[in-house]
Order: sequence, then C-alpha cells, then structure tokens
Amino acid sequence: MTVDLNKLHAVGAIAEEAEGKWGMVIDMDLCTGCQACVAACAMENNIPYVEEVDAGYGRSMHWIRTERFWEGEYPEVKMSAYQPMLCQQCGKAPCEPVCPAFATVHSQAEQINLQVYNRCVGTRYCANNCPYQVRSFNWRDYQDSRVRPEITILANQFNPDVTVRRRGVMEKCTFCIQRIHKAQDKAKSEGREVEDGEFTTACAQACPANAITFGRIDHPESLVAQLARSPRAAHHLEELGTLPRVTYLKEG
Amino acid sequence: MVKRFFEWVISPMGRIAVVIAGMFVFSLAAFGIYQSQQNPKPQPIQFPHNLHVGFGIQCLYCHPGASKGPSAGLPTISKCWGCHQQIAKTQTSPKLKPMLDAMTNGTNFVWVPVAKVPEFVHFNHRPHIAAGLNCENCHGDMSKVEIAENPQVMNMGWCLNCHRERAGDDEAKLTKLTDCGTCHY
Repeated sequence: MTVDLNKLHAVGAIAEEAEGKWGMVIDMDLCTGCQACVAACAMENNIPYVEEVDAGYGRSMHWIRTERFWEGEYPEVKMSAYQPMLCQQCGKAPCEPVCPAFATVHSQAEQINLQVYNRCVGTRYCANNCPYQVRSFNWRDYQDSRVRPEITILANQFNPDVTVRRRGVMEKCTFCIQRIHKAQDKAKSEGREVEDGEFTTACAQACPANAITFGRIDHPESLVAQLARSPRAAHHLEELGTLPRVTYLKEG
Repeated sequence: MVKRFFEWVISPMGRIAVVIAGMFVFSLAAFGIYQSQQNPKPQPIQFPHNLHVGFGIQCLYCHPGASKGPSAGLPTISKCWGCHQQIAKTQTSPKLKPMLDAMTNGTNFVWVPVAKVPEFVHFNHRPHIAAGLNCENCHGDMSKVEIAENPQVMNMGWCLNCHRERAGDDEAKLTKLTDCGTCHY
C-alpha cells in the first residue's frame, strides 16, 4: 500500500519517516479473537487489572484489545472479523504535538512513539487526540500494594525490564521496546546486526494463529515487510494521514 | 482579616517574624536533604573496599554482572566465604563476626545498594563497559574509600553530559544516546 505523501502535506522530514523502522502486520483472517495477545501484553508490560467499578467508568487498561465486528440484525448475527487494536506507532502521530510536557515524543532512534512516564503529568490530551483510542490512563495506584493489598502476591510476577507505572500517568504500547533493546544489546555484544525473527513482541509471541508478525519494516526482505506489501494490506484510519506502522491484512 | 494580616506583615515585628519563618523552613529543608543524602550508607557489615581492592581483587570478581548484563550484582555470603574460610583471622576478628554468624545461621547479607537509579530508568552496565568505561569513571576510586559511597549525584544531566561528549560528531550515535526511549520505558 503506497501513501501519497503530498496529499497528506507530509513531505520533507516526515516523508523520510513514513516508512519507519519497526513494523507490525496483523492478519485479520487468521485472528480468532482468543485474547491471548491481550493477556501476554498485560504480563509482559506490567499492565494492571482494573476492578469492576473503575472498568464501569471505561477506565479499563489494555495496550492491545480485540475489536469485534458483526453483520446482520440480532438473532442472525455473523461475526465477521476480529481486529486486534494497539498503538499504531504513527509516523505523524496526533498524540505527540498536543502533549504540554513533551512526555509523548517520537523516538528518533527507534522510530516509534514513546511515553516517558516520569515526564507525564497526566493531562490526558494525548488519549483524547488519539484516533485509535489505544492509550490508557492510570486513574489509581493500581500496582501499589499499600493501596491494593491483594496485589502483593502479584508483584512477584512484575517484569523487571518495564517500569511499574504510578497513578496519574498515561501509558500505551511501546512495541515491547524492552525486547528491542535486549535484542540490540545481545546483537551488539556479539558484533552483528539484529536478525529478522530473532525476537518478537509479546503479543506476536503469544498468538497461537501466527496472526501477528513483527520486525523491521524498512528491510525489504524481512517477513513483516513482505507481508506489508500484500495486496490485502490496509492501514487503519489511513485517511487521517497518521502514517501508521501497523498493517492489517483483510480478506482478499 | 486579610488586610489586618497584611498590615502586621509589613510592620517591623511582622517582617522579623517572616524572616525567622523563612529561615526555619530553609533549615528544615536543608536538614531533610542532608538526611536523605547521607553518605556512606550503613551496611550489614562494614566492608572495607580499599582493603580488598588493595589486595588486588578485581571489581568483576565480586560484581561479575557488570560485563555481561544490566546489573553488576552484589556478592552473596558464599562468595565472601570462598576466600575468608582460608583466613584464620575470620574466626577471631570481631569485625568479621557478622559474617561468621550469618554463615553458621545460613542467612545472607542484605546489602544496601549505593549507586541506584530510579525505577523509571533502565540502566545497563554491559554497553558502558563495552564502550571502554572503567568502574571508577562512575563509581569513584574504591581503593580510596572504606565504605562504598557515590562520588557524584547520578542524575539525568550527568548521564547526558557523558553521552553527548562520547557521541561527538557521530549523528546516529548522538540520536541513539540522547533518545528518551534508550533509558525510559
């Protein structure tokens, strides 16, 4: 799928970023909506569970969610497709320019959108400006055992490579940047480049149907780049000109 | 009410009171900072770094993780015992009593980490060692201090100063070394 950058007023520096570095391809035909990616993401990235009352306010926290679609009227509904929705790591992200604290910035090194937790002051502008609704806000100290005594035993399964976020901080998918760094560090210690398929994100690793593929989108021979060139490829809300890095493969 | 308070503040006694209150708050803050920055921190056993480094023991012997991964690691008591069981003084010295007790009881030292970064910073020792830095560049010369202490405040400006300096004119390296996502995620 090619994007006419001139139509998006995205020329110059943005045009160079249009391709990006890391990318993901999600095959919606293979996705069975089993939610394994959601669980794996929560475990990898120390995402708290939000209890009934807060979830009722729409404050549930997920970095990836499975969107359902159905066709027809109630008794004869047909589930047509599941769409795992996560941060699209936009090349021209709507969340970035609205942050007053520069807490959500574009990583020039990894070409992804970052959320710097220690800089975030919790204005929630970014979440309100995100067309994909993939950012989640810590309304309480969900991970603090002093506030929630029942979390004490769960604290043992925290991932030490990921910050445990505090109250009042926005968070979102990082393309498992801790795994990117780990793979880069390992490759560098062995004096080589990171190979395609050497590591993957938690959601892609957990997917039993192999619907999620992750890798270097700027390497034409990598699996994810080959899949992204498929005629079935489409970007979510492409007309907004956000240059998403996540490509969806729909029925073709 | 507010007007009367304002009039009292601009009177001579009021001004003196404001100055005294200001000094009180300042000294309280200074005391608090002094308390939180106390160096060196008390350790379970008063481990003399200068003595051990003086014997010629390498840093990596007790902190072997520094060349391999994110954490340098703090030695367990079995590492101490490896050498100390061959030293006769271990049985008699009152300074080494905590180690002897811990060894017989099967407990371990709970070291107080000295060089710590906040939890939202992900520091990795390996690339720093691989880049040719020596331990003493950040942790100070341990052959001169008895109880380990931090020679400087380890804050972001300190990190970035060195990162900028070492990146030099290499644009790609500078981008990588000053990227927020390199340390904060």
